[in-house]
Amino acid sequence: MNSIGQLSLDSDTASSMMPELIMILGLIAIVLVPNLGDAKFRLPLTSIRVPVLLGGSRFDLTNDPRLPNRISNLTFSLALLSSLLLISESPKEVGGILMVDGFSRLFSTMFLGALLLVSIATTHRLPAKTNAQVPKESDSENVFDRKISILIDNRRQVDFYILLIMVGLGMTMMTMATNLFMLIVCIELASLSTYVLVAFHKEGPSGGEAGAKYFIVGSVASAIGIYGMSLLYLWSGSLDLEILRQNWLSMDGVDPFAAFGIGMMLVAFGFKVSAAPFHLAAPDAYSGAASQVSGLLATASKAMGFLALFRVLVMITVPEGSEAIWMIALSIFAIVTMTWGNLAALTSENPKRILAYSSVAHAGYMLAAIAVVGSGISGTGQSSIILTAVSFHLFVLVLFKLGAFLVLTLLETEGKGHKIEHLHGLGRREPLIAGSMFLFVLSLAGVPPLSGFLSKLLMINGIVSTSASTGSSSSADVISWAESVDPLFWLAAAIVLNSALSLFYYLRIGLVMFFEEPSTEKPLKAAPSLRMAIFACALLTVLCGIGPVSEWLLGTVSTAIDSFMYQ
Amino acid sequence: MGESKSEIGLLGYLLPFLAVVPVLYLLDWESHEASILIVAVPFMTFPVILIAGQIYNGTEYWKIKLKEGGILALGALGVSLSASLWLVYDYVDSLPNFYDQQSVIQWLEWVSFDLLQSDYTLTSGTKILGMGVWIDSITLMILLVATFLCFLICWFSLGYMNTDPINEDRNHRFYGEFVLFALGMFGMVLADNFLWLFIFWEVMGLCSYLLIGFYYWKDSAAYASKKAFLTTRVGDVFLMIGLFILYDIYGSLEFSVIFHDPSLDGMVDSNKLFWALLMMFIGAVGKSAQFPLHVWLPDAMEGPTPVSALIHAATMVNAGLYLVARMVPFVDVGHHGVAGLEELGLIIAYVGGITAFMAAAIAFVQNDIKKVLAYSTMSQLAYIFTGLGSALWFYNNDEHHAAVVVFGASMFHLFNHAMAKGMLFMASGSVIHEVHHAHDHLHHGNHDDDFDPQDMRNMGGLASKMPVTATAMMFGSMSIIGIPLIGGFWSKEGIIAETWLAALEHEPLMYGPAILVLLTAGMTGFYMSRMWFMTFAGEPKSEVINHVHEETPWIKMPLITLTIVTAFGGFAFALLGATDYLSSAYDYSGHLELHESTLLSSIIAELEHAFLPEKMNLRIIGWITIFLSFIVGPVFAARIHGGNLAKGESSTPLVSWLVSLSSKFGSQDVSSLAESELSVALQNRLYFDDLYEGILAKTVIPFSEFTAWFDRKVIDGMIKQIESKSVFGSVQVRNLTTGSARDYILMATIGMLSIIALLWGLNS
Repeated sequence: MNSIGQLSLDSDTASSMMPELIMILGLIAIVLVPNLGDAKFRLPLTSIRVPVLLGGSRFDLTNDPRLPNRISNLTFSLALLSSLLLISESPKEVGGILMVDGFSRLFSTMFLGALLLVSIATTHRLPAKTNAQVPKESDSENVFDRKISILIDNRRQVDFYILLIMVGLGMTMMTMATNLFMLIVCIELASLSTYVLVAFHKEGPSGGEAGAKYFIVGSVASAIGIYGMSLLYLWSGSLDLEILRQNWLSMDGVDPFAAFGIGMMLVAFGFKVSAAPFHLAAPDAYSGAASQVSGLLATASKAMGFLALFRVLVMITVPEGSEAIWMIALSIFAIVTMTWGNLAALTSENPKRILAYSSVAHAGYMLAAIAVVGSGISGTGQSSIILTAVSFHLFVLVLFKLGAFLVLTLLETEGKGHKIEHLHGLGRREPLIAGSMFLFVLSLAGVPPLSGFLSKLLMINGIVSTSASTGSSSSADVISWAESVDPLFWLAAAIVLNSALSLFYYLRIGLVMFFEEPSTEKPLKAAPSLRMAIFACALLTVLCGIGPVSEWLLGTVSTAIDSFMYQ
Repeated sequence: MGESKSEIGLLGYLLPFLAVVPVLYLLDWESHEASILIVAVPFMTFPVILIAGQIYNGTEYWKIKLKEGGILALGALGVSLSASLWLVYDYVDSLPNFYDQQSVIQWLEWVSFDLLQSDYTLTSGTKILGMGVWIDSITLMILLVATFLCFLICWFSLGYMNTDPINEDRNHRFYGEFVLFALGMFGMVLADNFLWLFIFWEVMGLCSYLLIGFYYWKDSAAYASKKAFLTTRVGDVFLMIGLFILYDIYGSLEFSVIFHDPSLDGMVDSNKLFWALLMMFIGAVGKSAQFPLHVWLPDAMEGPTPVSALIHAATMVNAGLYLVARMVPFVDVGHHGVAGLEELGLIIAYVGGITAFMAAAIAFVQNDIKKVLAYSTMSQLAYIFTGLGSALWFYNNDEHHAAVVVFGASMFHLFNHAMAKGMLFMASGSVIHEVHHAHDHLHHGNHDDDFDPQDMRNMGGLASKMPVTATAMMFGSMSIIGIPLIGGFWSKEGIIAETWLAALEHEPLMYGPAILVLLTAGMTGFYMSRMWFMTFAGEPKSEVINHVHEETPWIKMPLITLTIVTAFGGFAFALLGATDYLSSAYDYSGHLELHESTLLSSIIAELEHAFLPEKMNLRIIGWITIFLSFIVGPVFAARIHGGNLAKGESSTPLVSWLVSLSSKFGSQDVSSLAESELSVALQNRLYFDDLYEGILAKTVIPFSEFTAWFDRKVIDGMIKQIESKSVFGSVQVRNLTTGSARDYILMATIGMLSIIALLWGLNS
């Protein structure tokens, strides 16, 4: 092993690792603070009592069950802010295995934004009640159960947010990894925490089952991936991405170790991005988990998988000017994935599953775009446009996919949200919430001028502009052009056809919200901060589709991708 | 001004809106930067009104304090008004040079369409859907008219709409659509390319449909809105085709690109351009309700009266005129225009002349007060079209001086007509509203009898009951008739005289429109006077009139404001050289200033110019016009419908002279005339509606039935096939999701093996 040096924490490093340090501090605080109390320690043989503050009866402030949530919100806010400020800093290497640059900070900003939204949403999904009472013998069974569940919810506040911050740490660290080993470790850190988060409401009918399934399939995929990594190590003798790249470029023919290794790693990352046929556990997990956690899986966790694909596929294995070995495999899997996702969503009756399958379909679109990067016919400029498009799509997905899940979270606070009937007449009960939800699904479908349209347009445009020029320009009629054009062009066609198919289930959500009779006219729970998160998502969904904000974001993403491509 | 204290207090809500522009001024904004607010603020307000209206409907605060959204609408329009006043103030004296500018600022650039080009730059200059502001004297004038009138009409609506129980809990819809309509007009006038002009044009089309059909549960209103929409649609399709051709010629729809050199160094195919402009003119014909697409406008009176004022004075009908006015650079052979387009001017002038005459004739026999005004609108707009037609003709023959005069006069007539007609509609609304109230009051809300509050045969003698309205309507009618020194006189003279000039000195074909508009001048004198006398003079013709009071809040202020503008505005602006100024858009110089050094001498010069022009021909035409419109028309009207008020009733001195004058000419019984065939034909609008319906029934309806069949059977059939296949596929695919982790791992393994097979198999 070369170059894994001593990690020394000088102030320069500390400032470039600020978001991670903040999260670690938050982690410590979230464990310590609720335990602060008036415990005293009596010095032996004296009557002097020294306060040790840890344990004993808690102070009013630290006894508040809402405290972990607040610490988590604060932690993520600060980390998000510091990460945002670091985007434009110059690249800096840390310890030989991490690289802090604009690209990694851009993605960590996105992860932290998603986590902040989840953390805020959890305020109402996993409510902490200050007036919890211990149930009495005389209580009826219902009251008894309710009191117990409030007590349980209060007890496990800390657990949830610890896991959430762990996810954050894993995700932000993986953005910076320049070493395959570090990459896998960080992904596993984040993944293991998400498995627990999926199963967090284990007393519910499907939580535990969903978590277990997700964990089993996920760990199999991880095992395969790690095995693939070890094959790569056998072949190359190093897991440093740069060294792997050089070895790959100088490779004569295709070494079986390398090909098997890359193929197996594709399985692990395919599971993360929920590409078919590794996605099968995902719909179960999404529908079993609390909605905001499903949203996290569909956005940040998926983006993590794509980032890993960027690192492994684009960075290591794209040769200059010729086809990458995974191009055809990825194209086929992309088409299967998007079609599978859309078809399965078509008849689904559970909005969470619909969104899960929609997420599968979106993974297919993005895989198709990445496949074009490996085609060998796209110039650097085009490749970087395509990667910009994919990254931009991952970014705005946080807004509208997570936004849609947050709306379901709001429904879940009343124990609803897992049947399409629960959305019936939402337009009458909650016009603003239903309007936002409609905005989200429209953006998922890619309707202009929303951000989902822009990102999809950029992806399709990248594919088309790369491949369309290969059609023979001399032939006048369409058919001979279609015969001569590079097959990649049909990836774009597949995306367009699939988008048409997907409109059916997206618009159905709008239909039932506005044209069906609600079972009750009562508005939903107040949940102010969750509502604010939803409205913020809706607003940004529009702003990132048109106007100066979208231009700024595109510009930032494009700069970051440039630094990634030419590093 | 008649509003009670608590109502006046509501104006406090306007303060934050009105503060917007001054604050921006203090923040060192430029007026053209703020011009985005003219459109943006209404654009942000209309959904707020609609949504808040849905949510808070019926609550006390929403209803009483916010007037069901009316106050918000008024505030938004107040921002537009103040921003456009600022723009006018900044630019009135220093218009940018025609060739240098004129997209003063770009508001909106559709995000990075250049990314579509694969040359990998995020920022480059080409925009496809960008929108900017185009400022010249026409923009400023129409913008000012539109914002000013929209603001006043909205104010009027607070009284008119909110006190009518039939509108209860529906007004948010009215105000939301009203604001959207207004912003459509503002945006259209400001747009610096034909594409955005067209987009905003369509926004107006949509809103006219919604607003005319505001009482959609009435069959007649639903029918009228459909008719208006479809008729204007016919024009819109032609406009769209025209724009296609235009784009084909110039490769752009930006004003700055096209107008820079419309002749493309003389390379333009003038025949092609002719068709483009003709198609665009047909669009204008539809929008401005000219023959033969005029049929929708009288029916459009089914909407609430403020909507009539909005459509017929402030916004939509002016859109067509604006479009035609924008055609000048194409034909101005003195400045890169394309020669050989005289026919266009002739066609426009003929369409104008025919419409003017026909509409005036139909107005003779209308008894519905709003319908009279509707036909009057058609007729007056037709004047402007005639004027623009001859202006285009002159421009194309390089008669620059005459062209400038008649173009300026036409644009000035647009101003005068908009102000007068806006007021007339509001005044008629006031009459209808009060008569309706009185009727309700008398019959305790019992609507069983078929009393029509809009029928002038039920009115008479209202001068004493509604002095403010009577005064307003008097000045408005005078302006429309063209009574010397008042409003429309200053512009109408110019149009008629110059059209005659074209006929007498240049082109015999121009005699057609020239004679028609001259006759129309006299007819206008008749039907407008008739309307006023029937409504306000004589003795009450029904019991209801004795119970009318002029007391609804919010209504009087706009009337009084516009009375002043109508009475003095025409003269004042004429003194300031409005016609020269307005034609300066295509004259490339010119400022709003007094002709002579002192006020008195400029008044004298202006009067001399108006009554004793240098050319003898013009002098004769001018005096014939005055004779016809001032003497002949009104006197006949007075003989038939004039008369003193009932005993003991008196009105303000401003109008009582007219009432007593009207009784001096004796009386004439014309009831036998009403039976004549021509009269019946006029009452049936010359059977145009029947003709169109007959043609449609023979042609379009069978075709529609065929396409409906095709759609149902073939298209839907295909869709159904796709749907059932997709659902089948969906079920199959979902069957693979068994729910058992074992199967999932099996699938993942299959996936892994196929990946490796593909990777290894294809590459080794």
